[in-house]
Amino acid sequence: MMMLEDGCIQLLCLTASSGVPLFTRGASKQLPFSVIGSLNGVHMFGGGQGVLLSCCETEGGGKVVWRVFHDSVMLIAVSRGGSSGGCSKEEEIRLQRLLENVWHCMVLVLGQDELVNLRNVERLKRDLRSCFCLIDQLLEEKQQGVLGNLTHCADSLLPPNPTLLQEAVDGFAQAADSEFGCLFVHGRIAVATEKWWRLAPQEVVLLSALVRTLSASGSASCDYPVFLPQGSPTVAHRLLRFQLLPGADVCVLCGPTPSLHRAESELVGQLWSPLVETLRSCLSVGERSLPGSVPLRPDVLALLLINRETRRSVSCVQLSSYHLLSDPSLSKSRCWELLKLFYIFSMSRYFTQEETLCVSAEDGAQGGHTEDFLHGFSHQPQQCYLVTEECKSYGLQTPRHQLFLLMLPSVPTFALRTVATQTLSDIISATAF
Amino acid sequence: MASESPGRCSKNTLSRAQRAKEDGDNGSTSSSFSSSDYNDDLEPEWLDDIQKNGELFYLELSDGEEEATLAQVTANQCLSTNHVRFSEKEAEVITEQTNTQRRSSRKKGEPALKKLARILGRKRRPSQRKGSKDGSRGKSNSSPPASILKHQPGQRQGMTVHRRRLKEACVYLNPKRLASPPAPLCDRGGLLEALLGVVHRPAWTAGQKDQWEVRTEGRLTVHGLIPNSPAIKCGQILIGDVLLAVDDVDVTSENIERVLSCIPGPTQVKLTLETADLDHRGGPSDSSTVHKMKASPPVSQLVRLLWGEDTAELQMAIGHIPHIVMYLSLKLDSTSLQEEEEILYQYPMSEASSQLKGVRGIFLTLCDMLENVTGGQIISSSVLLGKHLVHVGYWKEHNNLLVVGLPAERVPLLSLQTVVGDVVRTLKVMYGTLDSAFCMVDHAPRLDHFFCLFFQQLIQPWRLREGSPPSPVVSGSLFLDGLPAVRWLTLPPEIKMEVDTVLSDFESSDFGEMSEDFFGLRRLYVILGSCLFYKSYLIANHLPKEDLLDVCLYCQHFCLLPLASEQRLGQLVIWREVFPQQRASGGGSAAPGFTQPKGRHFLLIVGLRHLMQCVLLEAGGCASPALAAPGPDCVYVDQVKATLLQLEALEAGMEERLNVPSAPCLSCADWFLPAATTRDRLDSLASSSPVFSKLAGAIRRSPSGSRGRSLFGERSHKSSPQRSLSDSGSEVQMDVGSAAPGLSPNSTPDSARRHGGRRDSLGSGGSDGSGGSGGLFKTPRMKHPNPFYLGTLKKTLTERETEEMYNTIKLTSGTENTLFHYVLMETVQGIFIAPTHREVAQLSGSIHPQLIRNFHHCCLSIRAAFQQSLPARDRRAADRPQRSGWGLGPVKEHGVLFQCKPENWTDQRKPAPTMTYWVIGRMLLEPVPQEFYVCFHDSVPEVPVEMAFRLSFGLAF
Repeated sequence: MMMLEDGCIQLLCLTASSGVPLFTRGASKQLPFSVIGSLNGVHMFGGGQGVLLSCCETEGGGKVVWRVFHDSVMLIAVSRGGSSGGCSKEEEIRLQRLLENVWHCMVLVLGQDELVNLRNVERLKRDLRSCFCLIDQLLEEKQQGVLGNLTHCADSLLPPNPTLLQEAVDGFAQAADSEFGCLFVHGRIAVATEKWWRLAPQEVVLLSALVRTLSASGSASCDYPVFLPQGSPTVAHRLLRFQLLPGADVCVLCGPTPSLHRAESELVGQLWSPLVETLRSCLSVGERSLPGSVPLRPDVLALLLINRETRRSVSCVQLSSYHLLSDPSLSKSRCWELLKLFYIFSMSRYFTQEETLCVSAEDGAQGGHTEDFLHGFSHQPQQCYLVTEECKSYGLQTPRHQLFLLMLPSVPTFALRTVATQTLSDIISATAF
Repeated sequence: MASESPGRCSKNTLSRAQRAKEDGDNGSTSSSFSSSDYNDDLEPEWLDDIQKNGELFYLELSDGEEEATLAQVTANQCLSTNHVRFSEKEAEVITEQTNTQRRSSRKKGEPALKKLARILGRKRRPSQRKGSKDGSRGKSNSSPPASILKHQPGQRQGMTVHRRRLKEACVYLNPKRLASPPAPLCDRGGLLEALLGVVHRPAWTAGQKDQWEVRTEGRLTVHGLIPNSPAIKCGQILIGDVLLAVDDVDVTSENIERVLSCIPGPTQVKLTLETADLDHRGGPSDSSTVHKMKASPPVSQLVRLLWGEDTAELQMAIGHIPHIVMYLSLKLDSTSLQEEEEILYQYPMSEASSQLKGVRGIFLTLCDMLENVTGGQIISSSVLLGKHLVHVGYWKEHNNLLVVGLPAERVPLLSLQTVVGDVVRTLKVMYGTLDSAFCMVDHAPRLDHFFCLFFQQLIQPWRLREGSPPSPVVSGSLFLDGLPAVRWLTLPPEIKMEVDTVLSDFESSDFGEMSEDFFGLRRLYVILGSCLFYKSYLIANHLPKEDLLDVCLYCQHFCLLPLASEQRLGQLVIWREVFPQQRASGGGSAAPGFTQPKGRHFLLIVGLRHLMQCVLLEAGGCASPALAAPGPDCVYVDQVKATLLQLEALEAGMEERLNVPSAPCLSCADWFLPAATTRDRLDSLASSSPVFSKLAGAIRRSPSGSRGRSLFGERSHKSSPQRSLSDSGSEVQMDVGSAAPGLSPNSTPDSARRHGGRRDSLGSGGSDGSGGSGGLFKTPRMKHPNPFYLGTLKKTLTERETEEMYNTIKLTSGTENTLFHYVLMETVQGIFIAPTHREVAQLSGSIHPQLIRNFHHCCLSIRAAFQQSLPARDRRAADRPQRSGWGLGPVKEHGVLFQCKPENWTDQRKPAPTMTYWVIGRMLLEPVPQEFYVCFHDSVPEVPVEMAFRLSFGLAF
């Protein structure tokens, strides 16, 4: 009898001190209470003996990852390997990321105070329900083309005419008495004010996720209180979101003023209506994220480009009939999956991940050890490639960028490097990303 | 060794002189069998060391340096051996009684062990040799007993003629070891003897008249020291000393036991001793002794570990690093109140490991629970102990669970499973099942020893090998040892054929009048096959792959391979029952109607100098069934020894093969850094390399073979003195007679002649340089055989063409040789080839070693990717259900580009020069499964498939 289905992840949340379950999300069938109790128990027992259990691997790629945040909340992720799961190490990193994100997500919604000072468990349980839709989004990862949860870099879209939009966003934020304004197109950041980019990368990613869930709810505008896990974990700000066009949302982080109504009625129409055409052209960029002026070689299946300095990323999958001719079995979702797996594969073994600021020192000790393999290299890995049956993947790292490419199997292996460097320089020269 | 004494030494020299003379006498008949004969007449040295269960691990060292010194002293070229015995059962007390004691014990062991030998004894041809041998033996018996009395070199400088003085000595004591050795020892000497290794006989003291003092009652005079004990190892406690205090607590014969019993765990204690007068020691023998003691190199930690000497110090050095092995029972009997009863076995007892032991409940619970949750047995967990990240590997068998905890900085998670799988397989080969290994109480000391080696090799391998710098990364050994294959050395076909012939002759068990057939008896053992190692390289294998891997795992675990390459073995004899995994599981691929004979299997490993032969024997089946626990049979051991002696004649060829660069030439990473000017590069070429990239030179100048050859000739001219130096004192002094007599002043013309004579008499291939000066300048005509397809490829090229090809062999394309390193594994036969250690050493450079380390580390990752994407076919995965498909799908090829910079780049104005290189792994399934790992400079794009192809078939020929 298996308690979990293939490839599914279950998330358990308990109070760290007493082991009272706060919520479970994920699998359709909840794990029996006894199992939850034992999973929590072994970790607590170890903690008492000075042995901190951090993860476990089972045959077939199953994984359990534990993590305690601020000595108050324990998060456990249980995954049952299966076809979609990566190998042990990859899966572990994915789960570690997930736990971090879930915690920050809880802070974002409830604020750190309520989570750290557990006074009323029953009330907390009730309050936590408001995080569920965000957490579910993290768990399911059903939205294609969003890799920010993994990369901790903001998923961006490069609009064809950024200056116009930039001015509009700056103006809109100013009018709303805020320094933090951002325009989302298809759930990715098209332009944002300078201050927005100064937020911790993880906050940007979380806010993007929040805006995506809010806009998925279909409302034209909303006013949502948020705590910034890094910037202000205890004081809430208001996140105002307005839908400009289907697929295009603008939002600002602001204080008590202006009211949602005033902003919606006065500011939005006034500032954004002249730009509808520009927005439409922006929407037409679509999932490609890159303006049409950037040429992509036809044998490139998917790409993920990360700017290591600004912590932004661009990703796209281009699956045309040309590709389907050569391999009809390849689907778009599979390409995204492969891109993700290759990203984790490269990052867990060869490339360095910039420290995400959101991890506090004590938590860093728990999460930071996953890179032990990387320290074994006496020389610095620069590029890597992987030839599998479905595609050829190439990753390269420069001081400013990281590029991950999936290419058709028909591309000769010795040409991979040229294609990759060419693609990188093409994009950079065309968009100054 | 401290226990070596002048008396013993002179005895050895004497008998050796005799032996050498005999060698000279009958040498011209060139039968190497003859030299083994006199071993038959004697009881072999290792007889004493056979354990009750028939197992034997006998290691006797002969190290080149000591030999050289001795040769200098005696002008006599022969083997000097450093006898040290390893026996857990028997403490050999070196006192007046030594000889009698030993002889009696020998008699005890005899009848059971020498069945066949006895039968043969009747038949033995009479020989003078026997007489002479016995004579020398008698002499050895009558010679003064081995005594460790006051011959410590460190002793002399500090000690002067004071009549009595106090001194302090620090020793490591480990009471935990006491649990293991048999109890009877303690009856006589108590803890003093068992723990400290000091023999004190109150009765003797009473009987003796002490000249210097009025003896007070209860003084603890040292009457003897137990070999391998802490006391003897510290080198400061001498017979005749009086023990006054332990850690500043005054001791007498009354309270000593109490004081010693208060030592809780492994610790260092300070002993205060009163030492006696040094003056009355016999003077004359000493100048040579001192010389010898100085010259004799320290015995490496590895050897001491193998000898089973006290390992407390080594253990303490890693005591702070958490590591543990536990065998836990999953069946908990809640009614029993006994604590810790679920721990069936545990090692070590250090503090860090006790923390892990404390949380064994976690491991048990997880193992119990997770199977139902995630649908698979637990494989590993990672836990954080303070700052140490520890990976814990699991292996469940029946109702018991093996838990191995290793520090993450040594063993990355990627290779944890391989490491655990290997140790489990080794244990299964040795004991059949894990249960039988761990559940027998009397196995505990042997398991302690086993796991001590295991952890030492993983955590501080540099302590075991002399001269290797401490490096926190053990990727090299992790990767190479983790391959399901053995390192192979390709030999020139003539030599290979001869080796195979000799091995086949042996395996036919046609021992002539030594065989059981001769007496109409049923065979004791059937020889299933054997494999032969030369300096840690496999050079011939007549075993099926799985058996080969079993044997190799055993050798790897006990570090036998590096041992044979670094130090010359005086004699190594190992005998034990083994449980080859393929045969135990019933041999899946058996044809219908064929069943594996149900027999017992025994592994016999005999090592002589640099050669080591592993023989797998079967009792039962065709041979007579084995009863109880048979010990090694002298005849079989001698036959292997004879085979090895016979093979030694070919050693010159093998050595030559090692000295000459192998087929694909290598480049040194340092040459590619722009920092190195052209001159540097040339210098390093000239100085460091017989292995410089020939092809680079050859191609750049002219592709013609003759030009390349002259270059080559020059090179060998130049490098030969080096070679002879490096080889001095070892088997083949190639150029001594002809080229460089001035360089080896130690060897007189006489000895040189002896060399020549002996070698000729051995009838070796004669392709080496000893024949005359002309030979030196001959290009060693290397025909590198294909490692894998010897039989199928027939050479049709003329010699000239071959030679031309040889000069241009190159794995990489382009004009410059860009190949740094490679590993090619042939999965079906279970062998791999890689550049030899010597080749790598000759490349020297500062960056190159780093590069190789990096290469191995990266290969770990590449191979892990291959493994994870493959259906379970590997040996480790054999027992486990198939892993589910890997997310990325089957990986065919994986490469990583690295950049390196010279360390300590001080020039601020210029950026440090960089060099980039690829490490690429490729898995080939057609035509034969192979894995190929290669490392080359970035300048030329390569197609690894082609490189692998070239290496395994075509051009590399």
